[in-house]
Amino acid sequence: MAELARFSDPGRSWTVPDIRRLALSIRLRAVQMVAPHGFGYLGQALSCAEQVAALFAVARPGTDRLVCSPGHYVIAFYAAAGEVGLIPAEALFSYGRDGAALEAIGTERTPVLDYVCGSLGQGLSAAAGFALSDRLRDRDARTYALVSDGELEEGQVWEAAMFAAHHRLSGLTVLLDANNSQVDGPVDTVTTIEPVAAKWASFGWDPVELDGHDPAAVARALTAARESSRPVVLVCRTSTAHGLDCLPPDADGHFIKLPADLAERAVDELTRKLAASDA
Amino acid sequence: MRELPYPTVLRPYGQALVELAGRRAEVVCLSGDLTRQCEIDLFAAAFPDRFIHAGMAEANMMGVAGALARCGHIPFVHTFGVFATRRPLDQVINAIAFPALPVRIIGFMPGVSSPGGPSHQAIDDVALMRAIPGMTVIDVADAVQVRQVCQAIVDLPGPVYVRLKRGEIPLIFDDGHELSLDRADVLTRGGDVALFASGMMLAPSLAAAAALREHGLSVSVVNVAVIKPLDTETIIAVSAAAQVVLAAENHSVCGGLGSAIAEVLAESGLGRPLRRIGLRDTFAEGAGNASYLFGKYGLSTQSIVDAAWLALGMPGSAPAAEVTAAADGEYAPV
Repeated sequence: MAELARFSDPGRSWTVPDIRRLALSIRLRAVQMVAPHGFGYLGQALSCAEQVAALFAVARPGTDRLVCSPGHYVIAFYAAAGEVGLIPAEALFSYGRDGAALEAIGTERTPVLDYVCGSLGQGLSAAAGFALSDRLRDRDARTYALVSDGELEEGQVWEAAMFAAHHRLSGLTVLLDANNSQVDGPVDTVTTIEPVAAKWASFGWDPVELDGHDPAAVARALTAARESSRPVVLVCRTSTAHGLDCLPPDADGHFIKLPADLAERAVDELTRKLAASDA
Repeated sequence: MRELPYPTVLRPYGQALVELAGRRAEVVCLSGDLTRQCEIDLFAAAFPDRFIHAGMAEANMMGVAGALARCGHIPFVHTFGVFATRRPLDQVINAIAFPALPVRIIGFMPGVSSPGGPSHQAIDDVALMRAIPGMTVIDVADAVQVRQVCQAIVDLPGPVYVRLKRGEIPLIFDDGHELSLDRADVLTRGGDVALFASGMMLAPSLAAAAALREHGLSVSVVNVAVIKPLDTETIIAVSAAAQVVLAAENHSVCGGLGSAIAEVLAESGLGRPLRRIGLRDTFAEGAGNASYLFGKYGLSTQSIVDAAWLALGMPGSAPAAEVTAAADGEYAPV
């Protein structure tokens, strides 16, 4: 499907006047994409909506590269891409369906992103490879990688972190979605990964810890990362239920059940919030 | 073809890669903390800007290489065969093979050419790489082929795995020999035995064929440098002209050259008895030198002679194969 473009394809451009509004739209579109299936990776979109919205505002379309390491998060990138016109909004309706280009877990043929991998923990290595290539060729481009906190359990992430710091890949910025959620439950009940920021600092990165649901803070940090001489990681503290009040308190953040009545309430809630935002 | 004992050359791969990189600016070289051992200290000295230390981190190295290939570089990735295939198998599959990227994975120390024990002996690398869709798998036999392999694979569209012996490499073929990725090399023709060999097993296979000829048996010896995609046409044609088929590899008998030939023979319906010479589904061991291991684990000239003798149902015990002595700087199989 040739019309489904990548963020880095030359000739693309758009503006994001209101990051908070784009984050709201990502949530609404994610609900609409998951609703026909009755369940899906909605929690990922809820936790990373502000990060992806800020990325679509700060990163340069047609130049910078986007990597989504945890393939389950592609839903948020699809939603943002549909919202800014990078892919047709109608394409979002095919999400996760038989034969669709928009697979629920991102893969080789996933549009929008330069790299996405369903086998977790591999994205940062590819992002480091992109940043290394751009430096070898003296190309003015940055690479942004979304990485999840659960992935920090994979050794390869730390191999890549060491590699990127050693090679001073300052063109690389990581958005670390620290939502404390993985398949078996809260990350801190499965493996102690804290202190996360101190780990990255000790690996030679420039860490910034922030509220991942504060769009202005994420955008500021992404912009500031351009000035660092080292690779930068934004440790974004988030929740897989953020911004959707109608979710039951025990919703499984990795794979949210969304029966028709709940989906309807979710669409209503987010539509109201968007209208209020536009008022 | 040269005669036993074979003269040897040192580090032909490292020199060939430097020559290729001089012609091709896209070539980049990655090392997993085995730079001198993989002969790429030569590359690092010649092209420091295109030499990348990945350190002892093979999973990351494969991911970085995949991304570099996406950007139009041609990465040659170097480590020992065990570390190139077992440890980062998921990364080779997902970050390189599934997207069909032109990454060239060079795994040194095939099979029991390393006396370093099972952790260092790549006895299953061909099986692992052969199972991956779109992967080209190469096991070249001598320095004449090694010198040509970089140029031969540089423009292949997908990923390639090459297993290479370290150190002194024998010269078996004449200098005019041309490495083909499409055709296996039929070196001798005979109606009794079809003997297919890859990599380091070519030398003992040629010696075994000579011993069998002295006892009135005629042997086709075929060097199979490319195990995947396999030259099935030659396999079938040569096998059809023989009574029995032998496959010899410095690798486990599970999943490598012998298995590949078994698949071809079975699917063709040819119905020739097959004997596989290789590690008999066992790990080897650490030792003082590789020759001891080639003898102990059934990879000697005599093992091939014995297998042919038994497969043909010849009377009595197999003739003793003569072992050629090799001086320093020469190579002869055990």
